[in-house]
Amino acid sequence: MITLPLQPTNSRAIHSRRSFLEHAAGGIGGVALAALLNEAPAKDALNPLAPKSGHHAAKAKAVIQIFCSGALSHVDTWDYKPELLRRTGKPFDPDGKMQFFASKPGNCQGSWWPFKQFGQSGRWMSDLLPRLAGEVDEMAFIHSMKSKSALHGPAMFMANSGFVLPGFPSMGSWVTYGLGSECENLPAFVVLPDPRGLPPGGAINWGAGFLPAVHQGTTIQSSGQTPIADLFPSSEYPDLRGEREIQSRMFLQQLNRAHAAARPENSELEARISAYELAARLQLSAPETTDLSGETAATKKLYNIDDEDIGPFGRQCLLARRLVQRGVRFVQIFCGAENTVAKKVRPNWDSHEDVVRDHGYWGAVLDGGAAALLADLRSHGLLESTLVICTSEFGRQPAAQGSGKGRDHNPDAFTVWMAGGGVKGGCAYGSTDELGSKAVEHPTYCYDIHATALHLLGLDHERLTYYNNGVQRRLTDVHGHVIREILA
Amino acid sequence: MFTNTRLPWLFWCLVSSLLPSLHGALDFDTEIRPLFDKRCVECHGPKKQKGELRLDAKPFALKGGVNGQVLQPGKADESAIYLRLISQDEKERMPAQGEPLTQSEIAKIKQWIDTGAEWPENAADLAATQDKRMQHWSVQPLKSNFPPTASIDSLVRESLAKHGLAPSPEADRRTLIRRLSFDLLGLPPSPEQVASFIADQDPKAYEKLVDVLLASPHYGERWARHWLDIAHYADTHGFERDKLRPNAWRYRDYVITALNTDKPYDQFLRDQIAGDVLSPNDESALIATGFLAAGPWDFVGHVETTSAVLKRSARAGDLDDMLTQVVTASMGITINCARCHDHKLDPITQREYYALKAVFAGVNRGDRVIDIERTSLQQQLAKVEAKLSGLLGKGLDLADIVGGGNGLGTGSLKAGLDVVTGSFGTSAQSFLKTETPNILRPPIFQNSAAPMPFIKGVFLPKGAKNPKEVSGLQLAADVVITDFPVTSGQSWDRIRNGKVSAQPEARVGDIDYLTSGHSVLGLSSNSGITFDLNAIRSANQWGSLRLTTAIGFGSREVDPSSFADFSVYLDSERKVYRQKMTKTESLFLVLEIPDSVRFLTFVATDGGDGIGMDQLFLGDARLLSAAAVSQDSQTQQRYASLNAESQELQKALAEIKEDPAVYAFNSTTLPKPTRVQRRGNPEDEGAHVSPGAFRWASHMPADFGDDSMPEGKRRAALAQWITHPDNPLTWRVISNRLWHHHFGQGLVNTPSDFGLGGDRPSHPELLDWLATEFLKGGYSIKLLHKLIVTSATYRQSSNQGNSLAREKDSSNRLLWRQNPRRLDAEALRDYVLRIAGTLNLQAGGPGFKDFEYKEAYAPIYQYIPPNTPELRKRSIYRFVVRTTPHQFLSTMDCPDPANLTPARVQTTTALQALSLSNNEFVLQQARQFATRIESEDPGHEPAIKRAFQLAFQRNPETSELEASKALVTAQGLFVFCRMILNMNEFIYLD
Repeated sequence: MITLPLQPTNSRAIHSRRSFLEHAAGGIGGVALAALLNEAPAKDALNPLAPKSGHHAAKAKAVIQIFCSGALSHVDTWDYKPELLRRTGKPFDPDGKMQFFASKPGNCQGSWWPFKQFGQSGRWMSDLLPRLAGEVDEMAFIHSMKSKSALHGPAMFMANSGFVLPGFPSMGSWVTYGLGSECENLPAFVVLPDPRGLPPGGAINWGAGFLPAVHQGTTIQSSGQTPIADLFPSSEYPDLRGEREIQSRMFLQQLNRAHAAARPENSELEARISAYELAARLQLSAPETTDLSGETAATKKLYNIDDEDIGPFGRQCLLARRLVQRGVRFVQIFCGAENTVAKKVRPNWDSHEDVVRDHGYWGAVLDGGAAALLADLRSHGLLESTLVICTSEFGRQPAAQGSGKGRDHNPDAFTVWMAGGGVKGGCAYGSTDELGSKAVEHPTYCYDIHATALHLLGLDHERLTYYNNGVQRRLTDVHGHVIREILA
Repeated sequence: MFTNTRLPWLFWCLVSSLLPSLHGALDFDTEIRPLFDKRCVECHGPKKQKGELRLDAKPFALKGGVNGQVLQPGKADESAIYLRLISQDEKERMPAQGEPLTQSEIAKIKQWIDTGAEWPENAADLAATQDKRMQHWSVQPLKSNFPPTASIDSLVRESLAKHGLAPSPEADRRTLIRRLSFDLLGLPPSPEQVASFIADQDPKAYEKLVDVLLASPHYGERWARHWLDIAHYADTHGFERDKLRPNAWRYRDYVITALNTDKPYDQFLRDQIAGDVLSPNDESALIATGFLAAGPWDFVGHVETTSAVLKRSARAGDLDDMLTQVVTASMGITINCARCHDHKLDPITQREYYALKAVFAGVNRGDRVIDIERTSLQQQLAKVEAKLSGLLGKGLDLADIVGGGNGLGTGSLKAGLDVVTGSFGTSAQSFLKTETPNILRPPIFQNSAAPMPFIKGVFLPKGAKNPKEVSGLQLAADVVITDFPVTSGQSWDRIRNGKVSAQPEARVGDIDYLTSGHSVLGLSSNSGITFDLNAIRSANQWGSLRLTTAIGFGSREVDPSSFADFSVYLDSERKVYRQKMTKTESLFLVLEIPDSVRFLTFVATDGGDGIGMDQLFLGDARLLSAAAVSQDSQTQQRYASLNAESQELQKALAEIKEDPAVYAFNSTTLPKPTRVQRRGNPEDEGAHVSPGAFRWASHMPADFGDDSMPEGKRRAALAQWITHPDNPLTWRVISNRLWHHHFGQGLVNTPSDFGLGGDRPSHPELLDWLATEFLKGGYSIKLLHKLIVTSATYRQSSNQGNSLAREKDSSNRLLWRQNPRRLDAEALRDYVLRIAGTLNLQAGGPGFKDFEYKEAYAPIYQYIPPNTPELRKRSIYRFVVRTTPHQFLSTMDCPDPANLTPARVQTTTALQALSLSNNEFVLQQARQFATRIESEDPGHEPAIKRAFQLAFQRNPETSELEASKALVTAQGLFVFCRMILNMNEFIYLD
């Protein structure tokens, strides 16, 4: 397998690409060849994704966010609550006054997995996540997270956009709006949905809201020949390839140029011609990026990419590393889908009935992929410049759901962790009460996570604004503080 | 953590003893004001208002901040201003930045407060009480005293001349017809229309074209898109469980029709806000209220969760969405900014926001039955039947029989039968349950005279999803009823001659059945009664029978909503089945009963929501002999004609299989009082507010009434307030919206924000002139279009080299040219279909679903290419899904319908290039396009020319023709057509 330089700068690179296309990918991407005839990059002034300098020096160049949708239970994973364990089986709400999202609380239920201390930092982690436990010294935990909604849809929107209502730009959109992209050949904001389906709230979780559509997340499929929708015509059109396609493109360009020349007042016409050149670059880069076959056997093993259950998420994590390696600004990986037709195991972390069954399954998925990602980023020297964030829309209750083995929604407490990209590893910020029921020390909403992430990327969350219907909107609304305690 | 709140006090006791002692009043202007200005005003002044507090002028200081008053004259120890200076908590202590105040400064402030906090007013204080925001341009009355010569062109040229600029010349005719056609219809002109327009020598050719286009039904389809953008209309709920709204489309069709028929804009607005109340007999006005419900709605938050807190939160967000939509769409005021605090820019208070919320407090989104036609037919039928019963005699009163009587008035009022035991009595029951439902209990009349054997029995009906789980109701060896609806299996009260227990009233329409001359048969769910028709026939020597009765819901409209079902059986056959009746519904029933039928059974069931409030009743339920009419021939004739009329009405009623519905709302007539929610938090309620609007627009009083005002009247009052001719905003806003869509930018570039944070008008006089003409023209939107598109300003070329103008006004705010524009996503899709010859111009009806739908907890939508004509209708008829945007259209900048979108954002991206090149839709249509031109104009050159005509409405230049021929020769017409659909000229308008 050939190794591809990130930016084609010489004829050897071009030759390599051509070889790649002809041999590795079965001759797709003829249009891309046309692009190679014209190596001039798009004009910055007309490219909304041209790289921009932030407000201050950045620690992180890129973000990989792992989103555990369905709501991950903090008390079974990262938030060690020995008192809860002691009270297991005792009433959680003796007065019977409380009402959760779907139930009245049952008895206290300690973590279903034992906790131990790990690493130099001695942070606690449960046995559910044995591989991630080995990474605690890279991770900064924010244990005092809260959400403004206990409903999946609004809470997903809040975690992604800062607002419980739909229609606001997601963090990835804000980041590419603020910083543009370092990579012309791939989308700036890439989303890797769970192979089981879209998360609660659907594709608008990575929507651009009122920002220009160029900032919306682009979903990439990690398998198949068309990683991006419409990257190539479907197989029913085998003729739209190669030299024939180049002829079409030349025809298009010839007529477009003549049309633009007669309309010097309209600069958008030139931008649209450039967009076709960018599209050709994308046709070349995207299949190369999603083709994992060139990774070493050790890497494939690290991510368990062939495992039936945990492999798909491992592939997403590996792909995220490859994307960031190529200059993609923001990658969002979803670990869990929407509550679709329920099979044996829930299709996400929403463990209302059986925490052991569902978190048992999903814990292994997350553990394998996320631990591999941290290790792999480190070995590629990318962890320093890549901020990894792992979040969920809210947490779960320390009490059992009714008399069952599940846990109900808990918007008053959950944990987010960050690693790499200027974050101080092995530390923790904020805490919950002795049962893990409510955030008590430094209660924090997603605003602070967003403010901190933007800060590490060199952006001031109060200055990253966009006018919409009467308001200079921000990702952090009127809130947000950088959590300086977790900065390296 | 350091939490002992007493410590600062202890500390203060120590410190205060060390402070220099000061006595007597201080001069505010020399001692205190400079201190405030130097150390406080930076964060608590005109620029920033931390904690919503200002200390730069007296009225603000006295008003206080987010936590209330900060100054208690005479009591420094109770004044936050002072306490915050001496706090030991660094996060609390003021000033937040810089050194703390010196001890002597602190002492001065203490002394100033303790001696009464005298604050002599200076100019700054006085200015602060006079709110300059009240002078903001958009809330001033419209300027209307224009000279008769004033016009769009005169006003635009005047401002151009001031800047030393001249307008551009008129565009050529091809450009004009293309521009006009896309602007007004969203569709291209045909090559033939272009040719005929170019050839038209009539000096009025352009005006004629405008009239033709404005009269086209496609006009409404185009402009409805703009209105639905600001209504954020879609056909699903959005949020997590993004369910279908199968009836939303009727509102979309209302908008199209209203625009096509040029419904006066003031009425258009009133319909959409309160049409159900203002025009109760107009179906279209009821449908129009779908506007209020057009936005997203969270099923999980409103319905599924069991948590009251979460429900309140979802409801607060829901009403915020609704009132924001109404106020921004109609008046361009960003009212949502006042939800958590007073508006930061505009003089709109938080209280006023909640006054508007009170207007909508009784509005609950949901399907609303459109039963205006049925109700009207039933009223007619009731009148005809009243006349008929005059001829037939009174017959037997079934309520009287339930009361132990013979049907002629011998029964006891209020008496009735217990459905569990069959026992007769009058005592009130309020809950009945049985282990043995569906068992017919013969009536047991222990203490009354032997009644006629007209009642076969009573029973408590119970159905089940699986009919095998419950036994049927056995009426006779060969008569069993097995299809009762699924119910709770409980009941409320006995079946009575009169109201059931706790039933407040018994009205249908304007008849009160509790008054004398009428009867009420009370039948709450779940209960059933069977009459023995053979016994009735033989006692009266009757043959075939006729049943007439009204069926109503006896709970008041203001009671909590409730459903109930009503069924009538003849033997085991269900003849009448009304499911999920609500208390606003009623029906009038006429049933012909043949000789052979033995049993008549009435069944009330709970509609699946429990038995509460299910107080159904039969009004004037009578059995008549169909043959009882007198032999006199005149009477016979009259009977025949009334009977025919009745039959016709019954037939018309029977044809209404199911009442249509629109996704709009159902009302709570008297909603709970509305309170301010501090910081927008529904769990932290403050002052009570009454329905009203905001005072900034001062054309009408902003107070609508108090809590006793029914919700419909509240909306009606708001509709009147918004559409008052003197409202300064409404007419400016719509005039600007039209301008925006005709020029690609508005005179005000923030079409939904006319407040202080919005844009200033580039041509204030022109905007007022347009609004004035609009009012003079009877609110005709088409007239406004015509004014705009016939102006020379609109007809200017967009491609005029003018370096002076470009230098002075590169963004063309002064309108020295027309703006080139790009087609939006929907127009592009329609255009592709149009030139491929596959566009299906069928108008109206349910949205086409170009996706596969999979039912699931959260439904799954997977898009498919438009393979059938149904899926090739215009984009306005698309079934719009919120959570799963249409990938092709959203790539082309189709906005997320979660947002109110007054102006579309346009981007140019690589993904657009890919979509337009490779999307299955485009490729399929390119193939159709190729087939079309080949068959219309065979041969390469003619086909190429035809393609240019269809796509660009012109012939190819020689070089274009040569290049095209080369491509077609090498690869065929399909490849060529695919590239035509990707041309800049295809999607840009000059």
